[in-house]
Amino acid sequence: MIDINPKNILIRYNILVESDMTPEEVAEQLFPTDPYIRQIAKAVFEGDEDEVVAALQNTIDSGVDPLSLINDALMAGMEVVSTLYDYGLLYLPDVIISAQAMIEGIEYCKEQSKQVHESKGKIISYVVEGDIHDIGKKIVTVLLRANGYEVIDLGKDVPVEEVVAAVKREKPIMLSGTALMTTTMHAFKDVNSRLLASDINVPVVCGGGAVTQDFVSDYDLGVYCEEAADVPKIADSILQGLDIRKLRDTFHKH
Amino acid sequence: MSVKRYSSMEYDNFEDLLFGHSKYPVKTGLNLEIGAGYTTAEINYAPRPDAAENKATLVNEYERITRDIMERMVQVGFPSIVLETEHVQQMTHNPEWGADIATAQKAIMEEYHDEYGIKCALRHTVGDVRGDRERIDLRGDAYSRILESFEQIASSGADMLSIESLGGKEVFDHSILRNDMRGVVFSVGILGALDVEYIWKDICSIAKKNKVVPAGDTACAQANTAMFVAGGLLDFKLSHSVASVVRAISASRSLAAYEAGAVGPGKDCGYENNIIKAITGYPISQEGKGSTCAHSDLMGNMAMQCCDLWSNESVEYRGDFGGTTVQCWGETLSYDCSMMNTALEAGVGKTLRDVLMVSDRYRDPQAFILSYDNAYRIGEVITAHPDDMYLRAKEAGMKACELIESGSEGFLELSKFEKATIKKARNDLKSLDENMESFICNCLDIYSSEVDTFDPSNYGL
Repeated sequence: MIDINPKNILIRYNILVESDMTPEEVAEQLFPTDPYIRQIAKAVFEGDEDEVVAALQNTIDSGVDPLSLINDALMAGMEVVSTLYDYGLLYLPDVIISAQAMIEGIEYCKEQSKQVHESKGKIISYVVEGDIHDIGKKIVTVLLRANGYEVIDLGKDVPVEEVVAAVKREKPIMLSGTALMTTTMHAFKDVNSRLLASDINVPVVCGGGAVTQDFVSDYDLGVYCEEAADVPKIADSILQGLDIRKLRDTFHKH
Repeated sequence: MSVKRYSSMEYDNFEDLLFGHSKYPVKTGLNLEIGAGYTTAEINYAPRPDAAENKATLVNEYERITRDIMERMVQVGFPSIVLETEHVQQMTHNPEWGADIATAQKAIMEEYHDEYGIKCALRHTVGDVRGDRERIDLRGDAYSRILESFEQIASSGADMLSIESLGGKEVFDHSILRNDMRGVVFSVGILGALDVEYIWKDICSIAKKNKVVPAGDTACAQANTAMFVAGGLLDFKLSHSVASVVRAISASRSLAAYEAGAVGPGKDCGYENNIIKAITGYPISQEGKGSTCAHSDLMGNMAMQCCDLWSNESVEYRGDFGGTTVQCWGETLSYDCSMMNTALEAGVGKTLRDVLMVSDRYRDPQAFILSYDNAYRIGEVITAHPDDMYLRAKEAGMKACELIESGSEGFLELSKFEKATIKKARNDLKSLDENMESFICNCLDIYSSEVDTFDPSNYGL
């Protein structure tokens, strides 16, 4: 069997760019300084649901408003996770586990408060009609919730009529749709047509499998998204006032 | 159909594994023999999105695809070709659609075979439509429709039958996003294997009745999901080492099809097929650099090392500068086969095999464990536990960890993160239950509550 030293054949660039610091070391520099808040943020980072609730309880007992902890502590912890994910120091399962812990924490804070918590915005997520492949949608949904959005998850294989009805009912800031197959992604166009016919101009963010930028650019409301991690960034951009043309300028990479 | 468990390797030595050669070649279609000393391209395609409007438009689309491919093959002088039609869901939901398309395709292939003598065969891969938005129902009405689809295509011109089965996917998707090795072993090694065995007994009966080939399955919905989520070197989504462990475990799942009577060639996207070939001796289809039209992977050359059919995964049918996409990719694949076949004729097949393998061996942990020598070693631990689907899955995963860790002492460079994740995966696997009974019992408790769509009765549990 032939074997050679591959140093002149391939470069494992992931090793070249790897940070000398561990994720924990970087996170330590990013956590909030207030000891109560820091404890909650660290528990979110570590994805420890029990510790999140315990730290929240501890902080609420000291007289802090429960709802203020959603943004000041839970979201702050999640922001550390998101930052490290963007740096390539954390991986998707880390984000998923932290997000679950954060969502548990949000529910706890809501239970402890008599006031209503306002999310950053409402987003509808779904998998197109005829398609049951939903791992991409699950990832997107968690990432959006982790970034403070309320997500109406319509599930998989969702009929066009149901998507349109949900948009009319919920009035989201955007839709996030995924499709794996070329034969099912046509449903994006049907959603687009039905929304336009009702004078609704909400961005329809599309991605997954065989979906391409060219295909999505072909219908008026379409915004192509190649990476699940970009979906919350698109939502943030919508809140900052970017319209569909500007969203395309920013997020269409090809 | 009875089930045959593999308790030993059909190949005595990994050095005997070679492209174009299998222990048990498969005769099929129009004078084609797979794994009998030469390789053949397997071109795969998807209709344009609006072509599935009705049966007539879809039949017409596949006729165009088939004629385009056959015409290009004879224009460039290639001696053989396999066409794979992966059903769009309308074809499986309406079994007569699939049957009419198989008939139409085969008629065109016969025309070219009669006129030019080109050896060819038609594989149809039925869509696994056993899930809808509410639930997964693996053994209900949708399953009956799948079997009806197999019946109809088998009697209408399809030479080889395949499916990309979904069994275990609901628990797998949940587990892989949480780095949960227990869930990976349960979903792939237990649930997946149970489902594969269940459906392949029926598929093999249908194939036997219709005198066609029960070809094989793939763990696409599991191992490829992990591999594609893991992505390229700079995609920090999922550990490539963990995806490699999933791949090793997936071989114990795909093997269940052959234990139930499948004879190959296994599906192209089953990167675990190197392990399957070493265990069973049956020919395999593989995809690599010729499937960049569908996705990127980190073993584009290496995937050719032991292939018998060489595939492009799938390409949407449309025009390109050099012809239609099926013509362009069919030609590319066939030129690759021409190179491999030349090496075989010249007696330097193993040298080319090694060049292909070594060029990617250290590109990624997954390429490393699927290099033919390591694939063989994983096969050995699977066959060491023929009657225990839990142990063979777990041990396959453990072996992958061991290979990657020992490889990292040589030319396989691992990042600190990969080193940490492979160590964690090994420890997680090691700490799992001692025996299958307690493992399944614990997993039923855990995943029945954690995964909404998991229904143990889908697996006879």
